[in-house]
Amino acid sequence: MRPRTSPLSRRRLLGLGAATAAGAALSACGGPAPQKEGGGDASLRLLTPIFDRADGQKLLTSLLTDFKKDHPGVSVQVDYTEYGKLNEKLATSIVGGQPYDVMLMGVGWIPPFVEKGVLADLGTSQSELERLYNPRVVQPGIYEGKTYARPILLDTRMGIYRKDILAEAGIDAPPKDLTELKEMGKELTVRKGGKLTRAGVDILSNDLRQTYLPVMWAHGADLFADGKPVFDSDEAVDALQWMVDIIRTEKIEDYGFTQKGAVVAPLVQGRAAMMVGHNDMWRQVSESAPELIAEDKIAGFMLNQQRPALFQGGTLATLSAKTRYPEQAKALVEFLSGEKVSPQAAEQRGNIPAVLSAADSEYVRSNKLVSFAVNNLDHAFSEGGVPTWLEIREEFKPALESALLGKSSPADALRGLAEKAEAIIAKGA
Amino acid sequence: MPRSERPGRKRKFGHERRRVALLLLAPSVIHLVWWIGLPVLATFALAFTDYDILAGTVTFNGLDNFQEIFGDPTWNSSIWHTVVFTFFTVPVAMAIAVVLALLLNVKMRGSAWYRTAVFMPHVTATVAIALVWMWMFEPRLGVVNTMLGWVGIDGPVWLADPDWALTAVIVVSIWKGIGIKMLIYLAALQAMPNDVYEAARIDGASQVRQFFSITLPLLKPATFFVLVVSIIDSFQAFDQLYVLTPDGGPGNSTTVMTYEIYRTAFKEFNMGAACAQSVVLFAFLLVLMLISRRLTGKEDDVR
Repeated sequence: MRPRTSPLSRRRLLGLGAATAAGAALSACGGPAPQKEGGGDASLRLLTPIFDRADGQKLLTSLLTDFKKDHPGVSVQVDYTEYGKLNEKLATSIVGGQPYDVMLMGVGWIPPFVEKGVLADLGTSQSELERLYNPRVVQPGIYEGKTYARPILLDTRMGIYRKDILAEAGIDAPPKDLTELKEMGKELTVRKGGKLTRAGVDILSNDLRQTYLPVMWAHGADLFADGKPVFDSDEAVDALQWMVDIIRTEKIEDYGFTQKGAVVAPLVQGRAAMMVGHNDMWRQVSESAPELIAEDKIAGFMLNQQRPALFQGGTLATLSAKTRYPEQAKALVEFLSGEKVSPQAAEQRGNIPAVLSAADSEYVRSNKLVSFAVNNLDHAFSEGGVPTWLEIREEFKPALESALLGKSSPADALRGLAEKAEAIIAKGA
Repeated sequence: MPRSERPGRKRKFGHERRRVALLLLAPSVIHLVWWIGLPVLATFALAFTDYDILAGTVTFNGLDNFQEIFGDPTWNSSIWHTVVFTFFTVPVAMAIAVVLALLLNVKMRGSAWYRTAVFMPHVTATVAIALVWMWMFEPRLGVVNTMLGWVGIDGPVWLADPDWALTAVIVVSIWKGIGIKMLIYLAALQAMPNDVYEAARIDGASQVRQFFSITLPLLKPATFFVLVVSIIDSFQAFDQLYVLTPDGGPGNSTTVMTYEIYRTAFKEFNMGAACAQSVVLFAFLLVLMLISRRLTGKEDDVR
């Protein structure tokens, strides 16, 4: 039997179009029905920059299964990203009206986001947290006396050296200060036909700002004082001059010899004797050249001049001020920064667990760069300190590069940087 | 049918057709207004404000954003890099594309395969291309430096050396951009009338003379189209630069306007300044289009 059909009239077409548009509008604007605050069931959105690799995703999935056992009505939708993309994920989620309920972010990020009303007070006292975590890692989550973040893991930048390369040159101990580091670097640099084949000191594999800052702190300088930039002080200029000497004056390393994010760092390949690097270098070595660990050829040393200094960053768990499920989201923040997750999260990143209970764990003892950092956290410094830090920090790289490339003197580069920072602070005030 | 009824029926029919046409156009118009028109208007408006994306506040600040961006040497150098990038990628790729189109317009065995091979980079994901080229530019083991080594040249650290990074990115961009330009030229060549060439041959014109006196003038409409599209593409280049030389490259040597807009918006959260930068980019493209039109567009109907 032939099906009955009717011709498509204009009215019918208009009606169909209107119905489709209305349907689309309703489906776009609707979203999930709001649930009662404090209710048991919740669908949480989590943004994380530290479980982005395949093994990290597998680990987090398994950890969240445990979380769900204690919170059966709570589901967690995870958005994996990396630190380089965290800003835009956060910004677009907030502007899009769908902020994440729980966000993991870095040290230095808390004041800017608190000032913008993005983060909620966790309501935990500093003293309470200091019983669970090293006081050094609690501080970055505190702003104006309130706790906005709980630490999960720490990362540090330090001096790292190849014991075997130093031993070949008859050197049996790492440099005791930055002056000696430069002298040793000169001695250990190898050029063949003018071409650099081994850098005495590699200062380019690490993020340039995160290399400069511990050198600056070691020289006795600071980032801010009373909310004003002081990273153009004489000590800070000396620190940048030290880096310029490595590249331009002493030619211990050539600009372009390596770069941040290189698949394998020159130190691992024997193309550098020492470096300013991240503690996760241990993980890279264990994956690329495990024999260096087996033969005890890698170790850390303190960057020291006027004072010893480590750069300390980290990842902290925060609660969105706009979450519809504050209780459940807070429970997730506590779970992610707790004694179960923190050590495992740190281990998969090659970083340092924030919880005190893991300070003497098998993982920390077996990873010499991590244990070196744990033992020296008293000398750690962290970046940030003003609400506009996220904008200011973006200005460091061009300023530092301009000095390293000889386009401006260290003093001029830092003065220009400080002026920009002052303008950014004034604009943000 | 009475003659007097005809105009009325015609009007009714025309009116109905117009309404149906409007109805059918509506989805596209709504799409364009919603996704292009409104964002463009918003960009122009926000360029004169201090828009705090996180706090959700907007404050009018006049020309402050423009003062701020033109006082920033990184933004000014990004304009220069964009111009240099465009200057080398567009004409060079166009010249190579014309030559390739002429070669591939000749009847020969396997010409479809050759055309596909030349076109392939255009349809390959830019990120994949960039990653392959990163390996090729690897200073110690990469193909480029290995080949240079055969002739006794000690190749630079292409992507990490401020003096060479932009050159390396330009090479990749030329290679990637040739395919689509070649295809447009090939289509134009295949649409050319034989009678003009026959007449030229009868008059004794050489191949070279035919090329310069017939082919090139007849390619003008295609050249205008390719030039406009290429300049826009070039000014909007982002992905290959972002993957090959992250964070603006060594010493900000490869930072371009699009990357600076991205950096200002999403790394500094300075949306007002990012919108001002977008307006400047828009102005650049508008001026370039007008110049291109003046230079090549007047003789669109050359035939």
